Amino acid sequence: MSVLLAQIINALLLGCSYSLVAIGFSLFFGVMDIVVFCAGDVGLFGAYVVAGICALTGVYAALVAAGSSWLGVVIVVLIGACLTGLLMVGMYKATIAPFEGKNPLMPLLSTIAAGVALREAIGLFYPEGRNPQVFPELLPRGYLGGNPLLSWRNLVIVVVTLVIVAILYWFVNRTKLGLSIQAVAQNREAAIMIGVNSRVVLLVTFLIGGFVLGTGGFLLGSYYGMIRFDMGAMYGLKGFSAAVVGGLGNIYGAIVGGLLLGFVEVFVSAFIPGGTAYASITAFVIVVLFMLFRPEGVIGERTVENV
Amino acid sequence: MGKRSFERTSGALLAPLIVLALCLVVYMCLRSSPLVVFLAIAALMAGVILLEMTHNLEAVHELIERHGRGTGAVLVLFALVLPFLLRHSSYVMHIALIGCLYAVVALGLNFQIGSAGMVNFAPAAFMGMGAYTSAILSVRFHVSPWIGTVVAIFTAALLGLLIGYPTLKTRGYYLSLVTIALQTIFTLIIINTDWLGGPNGIAGVPPYQVGPVSFGTNLVIGGLELPRQTYYLYLLFLVLGLTAWLAGRLYRSRVGLAWNAIEQDEVVAASQGIDLARMKLLAFSLGAAFAGLAGAIYGHYVSFIGVEDFDFNKSLMLICMVILGGMDNVPGVALGAILLTIVDEKLRDFADYRMLMYGVILVCVLLLRPQGILPKRMRKYRLPGLEWLNHPIGGR
Repeated sequence: MSVLLAQIINALLLGCSYSLVAIGFSLFFGVMDIVVFCAGDVGLFGAYVVAGICALTGVYAALVAAGSSWLGVVIVVLIGACLTGLLMVGMYKATIAPFEGKNPLMPLLSTIAAGVALREAIGLFYPEGRNPQVFPELLPRGYLGGNPLLSWRNLVIVVVTLVIVAILYWFVNRTKLGLSIQAVAQNREAAIMIGVNSRVVLLVTFLIGGFVLGTGGFLLGSYYGMIRFDMGAMYGLKGFSAAVVGGLGNIYGAIVGGLLLGFVEVFVSAFIPGGTAYASITAFVIVVLFMLFRPEGVIGERTVENV
Repeated sequence: MGKRSFERTSGALLAPLIVLALCLVVYMCLRSSPLVVFLAIAALMAGVILLEMTHNLEAVHELIERHGRGTGAVLVLFALVLPFLLRHSSYVMHIALIGCLYAVVALGLNFQIGSAGMVNFAPAAFMGMGAYTSAILSVRFHVSPWIGTVVAIFTAALLGLLIGYPTLKTRGYYLSLVTIALQTIFTLIIINTDWLGGPNGIAGVPPYQVGPVSFGTNLVIGGLELPRQTYYLYLLFLVLGLTAWLAGRLYRSRVGLAWNAIEQDEVVAASQGIDLARMKLLAFSLGAAFAGLAGAIYGHYVSFIGVEDFDFNKSLMLICMVILGGMDNVPGVALGAILLTIVDEKLRDFADYRMLMYGVILVCVLLLRPQGILPKRMRKYRLPGLEWLNHPIGGR
């Protein structure tokens, strides 16, 4: 029983980190009908910023020395997430905006190429970047009530994901800017007609998306305890798969898809003998099956083809 | 009449000269340092853009097409002479060989991406299917490499049908995700299956053999010793020639037209009587067959195959070749594949920075010249009795 519970918690954690990338994908796809393939690498960049601040600069040490350490952690993670948001805006300006209204293959390839460039840049310019880096243990250690299943670290990962989703929900549904994002997502021309500044909305979307991705990267690093420069590719692919399985362009779908993929992977590797090697394969097979038989995802409306 | 015959003779000279110039650019790129390669490609681009701005590019295309015999002779001559020119450096020969190999794969991929507009992120899996089929057959079952290669073409085509099947149901981003997922599944299955060599790959793949002559030995012609790449280079020139000829025929046939119609609008294409399922699956299986053939030859040439030769990065590189060369333009795709292979190999001097530069270059090219070196051509039709219309149809 406790094995099952432990695996459920594992799946939940993996699902949370997938969900955050999937949310990024869905946000971008929602407003621009574009798949930003460098999202995984951008998210990993956030993890590297956090690791870099802790390992290379004295900022984190100074923060810890100045006061409570959790404030330091929050500030460091916020810096990482904000820088990631800015990077995402830069990516948008350089590799997505120039291809608006052209062959959709172009932004697809340019973001893949940008992802490769970013990945390699991290590998080259981060000290010892080609080797796996130990991710600093920023989240609290220890167990809740001495129960080995409920570590504080895992709890924080789930809570942070939930908080981000809640804030995003509030922002998208309750603020003017969030409603403008929805308007642009639904119909860009009509949104511009009623006075929405679509350029600002797009920039803000990519900023927020980058912020979410950066936080996701941080949580992923905390979950695994290590990061490597080329982890972003697989992370992004899983996130995109999660977004599609859930229903591309739908934030709630992204969460469902992320959890589904997390559960599939963890359960295949835990409960099928010799399954560890086939965890990713099973996840992708499920993605392909979904594409063939339910392309609109778990949550999603079937789009009607206009002639 | 006098003017026309003059045009004919001058064209008969001009067309081979243009092709010869292209061959020399490729030769120069093969032999020189990275800087010269970039200068040569820049000069080539400048030439193409100049022709384009003066609206002569299409005329040059037609000129070369009209004088197929002359240009073909130049190409055959160049192919025959090249190994002798490169005999002192087996590495440069290796680059030329790999360039031709990828040109074959890119021509196949072009059916899907260029002609029919279906994104396929799994061409390296097709290639790998061919390579692994032939390698397994010859290493584990001691089948002749030639038979293995033929079988490889069929297994790759089968994989093409399998990967092409989702195209009947999905498109756009969904299709790209499906092909990425299938490509990833392919690599993961090979890594996790010991019988297929797992992460260690398959070593000791035997070379081709014709009678007593093994392709793994040096070729001696009249006292001149040529490196062992020569056999494969000639074989690949032959294969590339055949596939390029076939691709050119297909482009001009009803099939090529049907693919273009699918690319423009599936619904309209279907309503005009084009069998979508058949045409799409044809694009995938035929393209996969090209890739499988190239993959099998690759395995027998390097005698070792590993999964990293057929992973997602390779697929990406192949897609870049098609796009940089010029989608749906047969000579463009072949030229793009060869030039990009050369650039890629030359960047090896910058070992660590290679992939970074690769990514940056790709973004820059997509920004500056998304239509590739030789852009997609407009299809022209002269309806019988309506020649005066001379109206281009089907271009973008």
